[in-house]
Amino acid sequence: MRYLLLGPLALTVVLLQVAAAPYFPLAGATANPLLVLLMCWAMVRGPRETMVLIPLTAVFKDLITNDPVGGSVLALLPIVPLAAIRERHLTQSEFVPTVVVVAVASLCYHLIYMVALTSLGEDVPWLDSPLRVLLPAALLDTVLAPMFYLPLRWATTLTESRARLRVAG
Amino acid sequence: MRTIVWVLVAAFLALITIFLSQKGALDPLRNLALTVVSPLERGVRNAAEPVANVLNLIADRQDLENENRELRQQIEALRAEIAGLHEQQALSEDLQELLKVQEGRPQDTFLVAQVIAKDPSNLKERIAIDRGSDDGVAEGMVVLSAGNSLVGVVSATLSDFAWVTLITDANSSVNAMVMESRTQGVVSGTLHSGLRMELLPQNTEVQPGSTVATSGLGGNFPDALLIGEVVSVQGSDQDIFQKAEVEPAADLSRLESVLILTSFQPARLNHTP
Repeated sequence: MRYLLLGPLALTVVLLQVAAAPYFPLAGATANPLLVLLMCWAMVRGPRETMVLIPLTAVFKDLITNDPVGGSVLALLPIVPLAAIRERHLTQSEFVPTVVVVAVASLCYHLIYMVALTSLGEDVPWLDSPLRVLLPAALLDTVLAPMFYLPLRWATTLTESRARLRVAG
Repeated sequence: MRTIVWVLVAAFLALITIFLSQKGALDPLRNLALTVVSPLERGVRNAAEPVANVLNLIADRQDLENENRELRQQIEALRAEIAGLHEQQALSEDLQELLKVQEGRPQDTFLVAQVIAKDPSNLKERIAIDRGSDDGVAEGMVVLSAGNSLVGVVSATLSDFAWVTLITDANSSVNAMVMESRTQGVVSGTLHSGLRMELLPQNTEVQPGSTVATSGLGGNFPDALLIGEVVSVQGSDQDIFQKAEVEPAADLSRLESVLILTSFQPARLNHTP
């Protein structure tokens, strides 16, 4: 039941990424709402659901774009190990680590993606990419993080407190 | 432990699907996905574009932007005409043999296609169009803007859709010529910063404002297709070659419909530009 709700939401975000994100570039780079959603999801609710969402959404995204199908799955894989940071409770706030791992996940995404493209014979401008792709994209994704984190945190807190009430009742 | 197993299994499956994808085994699935999603995608794009315009421009300047776009198209069309005239003049004066080739070429025919998507990745400059191999589109075919300037080349085809690699893509390179000085070079895409014309001999004069068009060398593109305009020229006396920044004639970020040149047969149909 949970995935019947999550799936369409995630696929809608893929659609937004493919159709709308290119219209809002920063220094030529575009945001990756799917990555931000999945990373925030993994940080707020744990990586378990993300393990289902990553293959589902990434394959869907690759099918409707020109990417090799499976390339985005590879590029999004670091989200799951990165979410392990939530178990460490490094800071009082969960928000700051989330923003940091979104930036790291964005960098990982593009690096893996560039390696994949290079290995498939595409000409990837490695020298230009740090300033023209990696940093602007990481910045954009970081800016986008609160927009996904805050509603997710709110919805999760709400469902958790309802569940607690049900158990107590 | 569970995370490591999941990562390894997912990576393994991803590599298998990449392999299948490269072999074209997933093309029918891609075609189906695009068929289902493209109307939704178009709707989202139509909704996103005005929002993007509002963010980028003050609301009162919308009319000015439309007017500017129309004027830009007119300029582009006129420059394409000028590029063609330059070429015709050169052919009639100096290159009678090429003129015969020109006359021998069949009448150009075009296929109109709508742009349905842009590649959202930050590393590629590609667009999806609503024409595919069932419409006669093949990899390597040349794609033009509504103003008749070069947009790119068909780089992948599905039965109902195709992907076009734009001339600004980092993988794109086009043999080109500065029309005023007849200087030949290679126009390549750069990451998010337009076009660069390289291999321009040091002893030739290339001025900002000069028109750049395809030279026809190599056989992948017809000659005298407008590419853009020289913005700046770089290179010291010690350099063997000069470089020039070129602004594309077509507004590649706002393409809505394109023309596929179906009558021209590229020398290497499966070659990415």
